[in-house]
Amino acid sequence: MSGGSLFRRGETNHPLGTKSMSSKRLLGLLLVLPALLVIVVLFIIPLILSAVGAFKVDGAFGLGNFVKTFELYTQDIVFTLLITGLSTILIGAASVAIGGYLTLGEHPRAVAILKFLYRWPMFIPFIVVGQILRTFLAKNGMMNNVAIELGLTTPLDAVSLLDWRGIVIAFVWKQTPFVALLVSGAMASLNRDTIEAARNLGASRLRVLVEIIVPQVAMTLTVGLVLSFVTMMSVLSVPLMINAQSPTMLTADIAFRVNSYGDYGVANALGIVSLVLASSVAWIYLRASMKERA
Amino acid sequence: MSAQGFLELRGIASRYGTNQVLSDIDLSIEKGEFVALLGSSGCGKTTLLRLIAGFMAPSAGDVSVSSRDVTRLAPDKRGMALVFQSYALWPHMTVSQNIAYGLKLRGVPRAEIAARVSAMQQLLGLDGLGDRKPAALSGGQRQRVALGRALAIDPEILLLDEPLSNLDARIRLTVRHELRALQKRLGITAIHVTHDREEAMVMADRIVILDKGRIAQQGTPEEVYNRPASAFVAAFMGAENLLHLSGRTEGDDFVLAAGAANDECRVPLGARLLASGEVDARFRPEAARLFAAGDAIGAAGGAVFSGQVLSVSYPGGHWRHVVRLGDTEIMADADRAFQPGDAVNVHVPAHALFLFNAPASGPATPISRAEPAKVTA
Repeated sequence: MSGGSLFRRGETNHPLGTKSMSSKRLLGLLLVLPALLVIVVLFIIPLILSAVGAFKVDGAFGLGNFVKTFELYTQDIVFTLLITGLSTILIGAASVAIGGYLTLGEHPRAVAILKFLYRWPMFIPFIVVGQILRTFLAKNGMMNNVAIELGLTTPLDAVSLLDWRGIVIAFVWKQTPFVALLVSGAMASLNRDTIEAARNLGASRLRVLVEIIVPQVAMTLTVGLVLSFVTMMSVLSVPLMINAQSPTMLTADIAFRVNSYGDYGVANALGIVSLVLASSVAWIYLRASMKERA
Repeated sequence: MSAQGFLELRGIASRYGTNQVLSDIDLSIEKGEFVALLGSSGCGKTTLLRLIAGFMAPSAGDVSVSSRDVTRLAPDKRGMALVFQSYALWPHMTVSQNIAYGLKLRGVPRAEIAARVSAMQQLLGLDGLGDRKPAALSGGQRQRVALGRALAIDPEILLLDEPLSNLDARIRLTVRHELRALQKRLGITAIHVTHDREEAMVMADRIVILDKGRIAQQGTPEEVYNRPASAFVAAFMGAENLLHLSGRTEGDDFVLAAGAANDECRVPLGARLLASGEVDARFRPEAARLFAAGDAIGAAGGAVFSGQVLSVSYPGGHWRHVVRLGDTEIMADADRAFQPGDAVNVHVPAHALFLFNAPASGPATPISRAEPAKVTA
């Protein structure tokens, strides 16, 4: 009677008794419910159905779709990884360069102009980017025409960049502003003294950028690059418009399986492969952030 | 110029847009000297330090070190190292890496860097902390790392931008002495920016007081404390009590006319360039002495004001009284407590009574007397 009664008394004396506590919890649950329903109905159930569909061949479970996927599309999987990986590296370099100039630039006017210009591609949809680059990069496109006019090349030597290079250019052009926005924001909120302390000891601006600034914004840069990687993995319009040939990216293959064959099984299997690729990158990010917090 | 200082500032001016931050700064600092730049916030002291460090260029004037013009030189070419108020340690580097960075930039061989970093850690009491990141250090330890990072490159001049202002009050007191002792031991020239009068007094060989971007006065702590050159310096150095009086010069004396709270009295003029007319009198609460009205005032000389005690408090060591003199209120200390309502006489010794011509009348350059005065602070 001694210890137990003490405990109970403490409980009932609490301003929020057991009863009001549970009703509060119920209210909280009610408030979350609409959002939860939307996620479950529109996202989680379709995802599970697709995942299940990937393992179904003619009504029975099996790995047939994956066998087919790797038979037909191994080259495309590698192609997708290389394109997205290369684009991610270039985006990282370009956004660090832009953020670095915005942070360390000594000509206020040039900094202001860059600040104004660099965000524009962010507001242009991927399909428009694809269209723009088609007319720009084609064999008889604007880039080659200008080069020919300037005498830099001849019509015979002009090459079309509408292949893997076009995709990389489109991705970098479209995604760099987004990462640069995140990175330059993080750089702007750094303690300026840490930069001046390095300058005071004799570090050049490049060294300040590489050794002082980038390590301090590494986490933001990683987040931006992971998000970009996942976004680029899911873009359909750019590979369709710029690179209508083989090998191509997985998104184009999925569209092709669905539209031309109605083959949802292989399309789902390709989707699972993309998901694994994207989440492996997210896993790298999660591990890095855990390490940082430890 | 014949008598060249080690660090020389001539006619320095600086402006942000139309805002004149610094003007007519002439300063000559000897090798091994510890100079405090003292002033309230916004007086331009940090701007002056950044200008010396080379983070900004003056709009006029020049800076030279050992007769070498460094006005347009990059920060790292000046033989100076700056300790920032925020410490500005690099959070992604360990203590050792922070201290080593300046040496690494100079291309010092790795073995020598390691030796110097460990010597520096030993000097500053950072042994065993070499592998920690700044986030895992206390405020005092961070401050020492910042100091170590600056000293590692063996600078001729150490610039300190309020390095103690982020420390706990108690740690600050010990760090003051540690820093001063270290500076003496290394024989390094130091310029220390602070808004803390006591900190400047305790640490510096010379105090330079800045007011609105100009040097208001410079001198040893004892000089600026006891012989303030202007009403601003007197107030900044703690002489907060202000009385508006009038008087006239008579031979070597200045005769204060009888006012609402005082009889006529005379104080030696000394070297003060006072003109007859309105004067502002300033004195410190601790320099005044309180006597009950009617008691004989033992000490001769100085001014006596009569008034009434309004309130009394005990800040420690002595009793502090708010006393009404005529229509102004002043503060005065005494060894015993007077009760509110008591009629008292406030005696201010001549050497502790700072007189300046009121801004509207007389010469605009009140000069303190140069005669050495002994005041117990």
